[in-house]
Amino acid sequence: MADVTGEIIGQASVIATVGLTKHYGTVHALTDLTVTVGDGVTGLVGANGAGKSTLIKILLGLLEPTSGQASVLGHDIEQASQDIRRLVGYMPEHDCLPPDVSASDFVVHMARMSGLGASPARERAADVLRHVGLEEERYRPMGGYSTGMKQRAKLAQALVHDPRLVFLDEPTNGLDPAARNDMLRLVQRIGSEFGIAVLVTSHLLGELEQVSDHVIVLDGGHLLRSSATGEFLERTGSLLVEVIGTATERDRLGEALALAGLACRPRGTMVAVDPPPPELTGETAAYDIIRDVAADLGLGLMRLQPDRRHLEDVFLDGAAHV
Amino acid sequence: MSESAQGTGRTGVIHDLGYRHYDGRREGTGAIALNLFTTGLRHVYGLGRSGRSKILPFLLLGMSVLPALIVVGVLVLTGLSDLPITYAGYVNQTQLLISLFAAAQAPVLFSRDLRHRSIVLYLARPLSAPIFAITRWLSLVVSILLFTAIPSVLLFVGALLAGLDVSDQTSSLLKALCLQVLLATMLAGITGLISSVSLRRGFAVVGSVMALIVLSGVVTAVQGIADAQDSEGVGIVAGLFSPWSLHSGLADAWGAGVNVFTPPDGAWVLAYVLVGLLIAAACGLGLVARFRKVGAR
Repeated sequence: MADVTGEIIGQASVIATVGLTKHYGTVHALTDLTVTVGDGVTGLVGANGAGKSTLIKILLGLLEPTSGQASVLGHDIEQASQDIRRLVGYMPEHDCLPPDVSASDFVVHMARMSGLGASPARERAADVLRHVGLEEERYRPMGGYSTGMKQRAKLAQALVHDPRLVFLDEPTNGLDPAARNDMLRLVQRIGSEFGIAVLVTSHLLGELEQVSDHVIVLDGGHLLRSSATGEFLERTGSLLVEVIGTATERDRLGEALALAGLACRPRGTMVAVDPPPPELTGETAAYDIIRDVAADLGLGLMRLQPDRRHLEDVFLDGAAHV
Repeated sequence: MSESAQGTGRTGVIHDLGYRHYDGRREGTGAIALNLFTTGLRHVYGLGRSGRSKILPFLLLGMSVLPALIVVGVLVLTGLSDLPITYAGYVNQTQLLISLFAAAQAPVLFSRDLRHRSIVLYLARPLSAPIFAITRWLSLVVSILLFTAIPSVLLFVGALLAGLDVSDQTSSLLKALCLQVLLATMLAGITGLISSVSLRRGFAVVGSVMALIVLSGVVTAVQGIADAQDSEGVGIVAGLFSPWSLHSGLADAWGAGVNVFTPPDGAWVLAYVLVGLLIAAACGLGLVARFRKVGAR
């Protein structure tokens, strides 16, 4: 197993875990997790209690794993957790800001706690607070902040010491849609423009579709899937067809398509056409058949589009396997 | 003409430099811990915090310094041949103020981070939970020590101004300071541990007052009764149960100018010292365990 970790470290991945397991008595928070995380933005998805926060705490050295190994930025979590904590930033999920201190003072203090000198700490704090979008309010006590401002201040303290990797635990929690979009854009900028690797958790799949380069899906402490975001959203080869009318028209179309040699099934108000058989693989052959069938039946075609997978499907697939 | 107008019209251009990386020096664990220590020390006295938080510590400090100033004034003006109160005796007399200071200010260092959960932000940084807990404890030890040592040093300066014997005064002061160090480690440990468990400041203060002032009163009462009943042993054993009775018992045994009902003698003196150190060490370990546990949540 040590060889495996060595190999993974050799690939200079940002995070690598091998067989990572954490049990609290009978509660299995993480089970045999083996993943690697690279540069850019990596989304960590799972329902509440799927083991996302547990994984981050183990990687920070705040929790000891029951078994298994992990390395962060080439440092082993057991032997060099202090070195890891010098190089990473952490934005926790819950509220963690003292209400009687201003964001400006607090972020400077946190920079000093990461080892920056007095004047670099002040400069970096001012810089980072500007990047996260806290303007004049940075000089007010944080107790009076809105949720959005608090999230920004939490993000600022995670970035102030210029880490090489940040753990963002549910950064969009409690934000309204506009603030949520701002935060997601910021997360994306951190990964691309700032050049800092990001591990961001969320229980909302749609959010991570937008910003992540790579997605890891956890379910009940198990790894469900880890792959590039594009692969999750790849075309399935199926086509979706919708015609004007009710379920009656939909079924007439479906039956006619089946007669024409296209396997299909109803899905909501639409007909999902399975990937066409090999003799019809020509780019437009299936489209032509559907068009002609609809025209013959006198049905108005409303929609004809390739079907894409959604992140949600991963959970459905996973549930089917388990 | 137009060229010069353009040149003068646009001088202050703001450039967005984008995100800049930091590749300057980063301090080691020792320097970070030292910074946490001095910040903690300042915060106990309300420095670097709101104006309101300075009131209580400085009010208590003023109340504990004032009698020393009066003593010094009387001593210098009237030319007494000795200090009317010993250094250790002064600490013993102001024990209510010292206890209140420790009880009221320990939550500043030990409750705030836990109640607001900012502790996770500290523990996600280079300092580990044990170093964090010990550094916080040292901040409180030194701030209590300052609180007790300032009047002692004032009395000492007054004694020198009044021309009292330098070597007598110095040895007496040093004895008192040694006892103050032991006292401060115990008080900081006890109040720190109580504050780190009961996160509401009010409960923490009440708990610390119970542990320091009320317990000390009970022990003194038991010692008084034991003395009157001629059962000194009971009184000596009772003295092991409060940091204040340990302090005054040792001061009596050491001839530092405090009289208690039942002073320890022989091996009991060593027992007093050991129990004092044990209380400080146990509280220190308790704090480490507490912060370790909180960090894992």
